[in-house]
Amino acid sequence: MTQTGDRHLDPAVDYPLSSRRPDLLHTPTGKHIEDLTLDAVVAGDLSPLDLRIAPDTLLMQAEIADGAGRWQLAENFRRAAEMTEIPDERVLAMYNALRPNASTGQELADLADELEREYSAGRTAALVREAADVYGRRNLLAAADD
Amino acid sequence: MTSTDRPAQNRRSTRTEIIEARPIQLDGFVEEWPEVGMIAMESPYDPEPSIRVEDGVIVEMDGRERSDFDFLDQFIADHAIDISAAEEAMALDAQEIAARVVDPRVPRQDILHLTRGLTPAKLLDVVESMNVVEIMMAMQKMRARRTPANQAHSTSARDNPVQVAADAAEAALRGFAELETTLGIVRYAPLVAIALQVGGQTGRGGVITQCALEEATELELGMRGITAYAETISVYGTESVFVDGDDTPWSKAFLASAYASRGIKMRFTSGTGSEVQMGNAEGKSMLYLEIRCIQVAKGAGVQGLQNGSISCIGVPGAVPSGIRAVAAENLVASMLDLECASGNDQSFSHSPMRRTARTMPQLLPGTDFVVSGYSGVPNADNMFAGSNWDPEDYDDWNTIQRDLKVDGGLRHVAEKEVLAVRGKAIRALQAVFAGLDLPPITDEEVDAGIYAHGSEELPERDVLEDLKAAKGVMDRGITGLDLVAALEKGGFRDVAENLLHVLRQRVSGDLLQTSAILDGDFSVRSAINDANDYAGPGTGYRPSGERWEEMKRLRHVLSASNPEQEVE
Repeated sequence: MTQTGDRHLDPAVDYPLSSRRPDLLHTPTGKHIEDLTLDAVVAGDLSPLDLRIAPDTLLMQAEIADGAGRWQLAENFRRAAEMTEIPDERVLAMYNALRPNASTGQELADLADELEREYSAGRTAALVREAADVYGRRNLLAAADD
Repeated sequence: MTSTDRPAQNRRSTRTEIIEARPIQLDGFVEEWPEVGMIAMESPYDPEPSIRVEDGVIVEMDGRERSDFDFLDQFIADHAIDISAAEEAMALDAQEIAARVVDPRVPRQDILHLTRGLTPAKLLDVVESMNVVEIMMAMQKMRARRTPANQAHSTSARDNPVQVAADAAEAALRGFAELETTLGIVRYAPLVAIALQVGGQTGRGGVITQCALEEATELELGMRGITAYAETISVYGTESVFVDGDDTPWSKAFLASAYASRGIKMRFTSGTGSEVQMGNAEGKSMLYLEIRCIQVAKGAGVQGLQNGSISCIGVPGAVPSGIRAVAAENLVASMLDLECASGNDQSFSHSPMRRTARTMPQLLPGTDFVVSGYSGVPNADNMFAGSNWDPEDYDDWNTIQRDLKVDGGLRHVAEKEVLAVRGKAIRALQAVFAGLDLPPITDEEVDAGIYAHGSEELPERDVLEDLKAAKGVMDRGITGLDLVAALEKGGFRDVAENLLHVLRQRVSGDLLQTSAILDGDFSVRSAINDANDYAGPGTGYRPSGERWEEMKRLRHVLSASNPEQEVE
């Protein structure tokens, strides 16, 4: 995942992005935030995908959170940026797989691999691998079928 | 006492009889039983603070070796605690830290540099050294957002969307920044969540709404833009209770990122007493376990937490110093720089005096959301099992705000405005139901809904048809955008604009930052651009200007120039 580069967002200057830096805000479908008007809705020009947050926007919010001293929140936004590409149903299924006693160690390892391979979601994959390790130690993995 | 004053057997004093007839006698109280965790705070069985860091890893915390860490210990050690701050902060005396937290001259930022390095047991020691007034002093400074706000419940015993729309509109008009609903029959959720959204945006554009459901369903409604934020993402303070809740800190952290990935604001929920109520407190105090929850929320990177015992308030409420512990848990959330929606949201006492006293530690200093939520519907219609505050109390709340000049987020609104907005909300919902081919809302329902206090005053709906339609909303893939289009088509262009503004916010992600709400003009107000700057007398948030003039208005206020007349 690319970082926000040399934009150097300053929480005191650039936040809220919606009013201070609308120039930076686009939807994942490439529309500018100012294009999301009622007339566009009525004309049928907008789809639910046009109301999604773009990964780059989450990285900008991460930079702002970091700037405000909130590194865990920033990390959450960086994982979120990775997850924007994952379809809704798959996100729900992944969440369910992370519940206690829901997955074997192998299934969680496969999930982490999928996150990395399919979605370049390295941070999220690391969270899943860490969970697999803890679940193993605390006896919270599902028993393997064989 | 001499033999002649000995009371006659079985004879009661009139005073005792009067006292025994008071509502407080219906409340439940129990002795402390620390061995099972039936103790609010100051338990002899809570661990002593300690920390040992080797090669950048916490290898011992609060007397426990890393190899013995349960999953909360490990998550807190690896994600919540800032190791670079830990050794210096842990070396300070807890009472010294507490003194700095209370002292208005020590800036909030300096406190955050310390608290980020503290273990659960140390945070416990810090707040245990404070009395309730010191806790309030500290909260005044540590609350994340400068301007306090409030949240309402809008539910219906019959899951009647008409009622929910009307009460949501009224609550929004009265000043609540967030609206929350939940269900009797869970399958009703799509229709009730739509009603909440439409009603809320009619009452005041920019209010944000949520529907409390099982985690996965709640996320789905959010993803579709039918709701705007989520709150009931529960975490617990012992591993066994966490697992009973079918989650772990890692699954919850994943969920937090899932919400953010869709641009949806979210906070976790926890509270003192949940572990002992669910039967496994591991012999620790309620406050110690709650502090572990707060640190899990911090470590997960979620922006905020709803705490303050919440649905378990009867448990800390029954033991000594329990309500002080509840105030302390709110403070710890704020000390860890989390948004705090501070409870006061479940009925816990029959005594009006006790209900009021219980809210003072949040109302007086101000929190991000003083009540979470305040019932916008009568007790019988409150599907969260009743709140500590009801619509019948609206004028009491407004008067307390005015008496003490404290901002609890609400305002008095004249009846004609209330009726107008209720009517408009139901008609807007009527248009949406018609536009989406949902079971019709009749004019009789509109009329009854405008004037009703509770669900029994509304015509009954065809529940089976509604449930079929609710399923259809999910199957057909209806989203917030469809609501916008239906509102516009039905002639409610202003409400459609309001809802679109809220939906657009998720594209910017501004609402994801700590303690974010939307103003009347849809500008975001969060702990970044409205950061708490309290630094002692004359500083920080104080009601002033237009807001203070608004707070002065009540239902009956005599005119100064003409005492025969009431002020409009």
